[in-house]
Amino acid sequence: MKITIVDYGMGNIKSIIGALKYLEVEEITVSNNLSELMSADKLILPGVGSFSMAMSNIKKLNIDKYLRETVIVDKKPILGICLGMQLMGDSSTEDSYSDGLGFIKGAVSKFSESSLKIPHMGFNQVNINNNSKLFKGLNNLSDFYFVHSFRMASDTNINQSTCTYNGEFIASYEQDNIAGVQFHPELSQTNGLKLLSNFITSF
Amino acid sequence: MLRKRLIFTLIYNDGFFTQSRNFRLQKVGDLSWLEKNYGFKDLAFSLDELVILDASRESKDIVGFADTLSKLAEDVFIPICAGGGVRCMEDAEVLFENGADKIILNTIIYENKDLVTRLIKKYGSQSIVASVDYKKNDVFIKDGTQIIDMKLHDYMDYIDSLGVGEVYLNAMENDGTGFGYDLETAKKIAKNISMPLIVAGGAGNEKHLIKGLMTDHIDAVATANLFNFIGNGLPDARRGIIFNNGNIAQWQ
Repeated sequence: MKITIVDYGMGNIKSIIGALKYLEVEEITVSNNLSELMSADKLILPGVGSFSMAMSNIKKLNIDKYLRETVIVDKKPILGICLGMQLMGDSSTEDSYSDGLGFIKGAVSKFSESSLKIPHMGFNQVNINNNSKLFKGLNNLSDFYFVHSFRMASDTNINQSTCTYNGEFIASYEQDNIAGVQFHPELSQTNGLKLLSNFITSF
Repeated sequence: MLRKRLIFTLIYNDGFFTQSRNFRLQKVGDLSWLEKNYGFKDLAFSLDELVILDASRESKDIVGFADTLSKLAEDVFIPICAGGGVRCMEDAEVLFENGADKIILNTIIYENKDLVTRLIKKYGSQSIVASVDYKKNDVFIKDGTQIIDMKLHDYMDYIDSLGVGEVYLNAMENDGTGFGYDLETAKKIAKNISMPLIVAGGAGNEKHLIKGLMTDHIDAVATANLFNFIGNGLPDARRGIIFNNGNIAQWQ
């Protein structure tokens, strides 16, 4: 098994690498090179930071084209984490409007004003979709670590699981070979390791 | 439901982890010693978050510290907050590059507001934690060695206005005593600030952790007490919190 973490210069990937090592993935690489992405069995799209800056980095490095080739044409399994999950959606209103990669029907916007603290940060419970492959073997309302100020909504069925914080938002989606999680499985203890292991074995 | 957190703080000093008692440091061992004697990787499975502070007083060796941080970041699957001696953008960058999810700031919160603002802009407020060392109504910076001209409550208002993600409130008089947290002060402060509050200083047994987490408006409890919580201390504390219906994450 070879997993390549897509490198566009944003996001803390140490813990992702640590988690994949813990799960005994034979080969783990970090790259933005097309042939390297093509040779991987599975991809992880990480990310922390601003959506518009991430999209501009991705376009500069041609990663949008490479991902279209590997993920859409070649149907390689991909897991987007946090910002990576959002980037595969249609758009975001972070720093005015930006288009996303458009692999998944979903739009990202800021949590609306409320008395709750933003960013939404810490462990929170996920309402797990019964059809989920990612959460297989995990109890409903399992805890995962979130840290974000923007969240995704969709009017389409993208096999979403949800989380509640000032209303419901998309905690994860799964569509064919494409999966995304708003939380950080690599920072979510044994629950997160189980989810990553499900991605590795079931996608 | 958003959960409260149980945090362990590792204090690093010139290559070794230490036990702090009223801010006097006692060397314990390095990372491999910690792993060998305390099975730290396993213990981390009882925690929600890890703080690692560089308290080296002779010379700050950020490279050695970053190396230890980097090893820890690959071994534990929880957020890591690192700090101690951050004085410029480059110091912060080294910590983030070596696996920190957040950084914790103390002296520059008071001395360099402009730098704090720039750090928040670059890394986001959720990545910046303000550490406050206090004794009664007095606040201290520089590893607890220098008193400042603002009283605790005014200082908390000032921090609230900076836009940092959360506050790590350390009671210096309780630090390392094992007699329990200064919850009275923490409660008064929690009501007046808009950021999450972590209480630290004084936890000696699981009851202290449970009591802290059962207190309204306190978002997290931290302990740096290696001796008291190593072994079954942390797993027992976590089980105790869940048994008491404490609002804390559960892993399968």
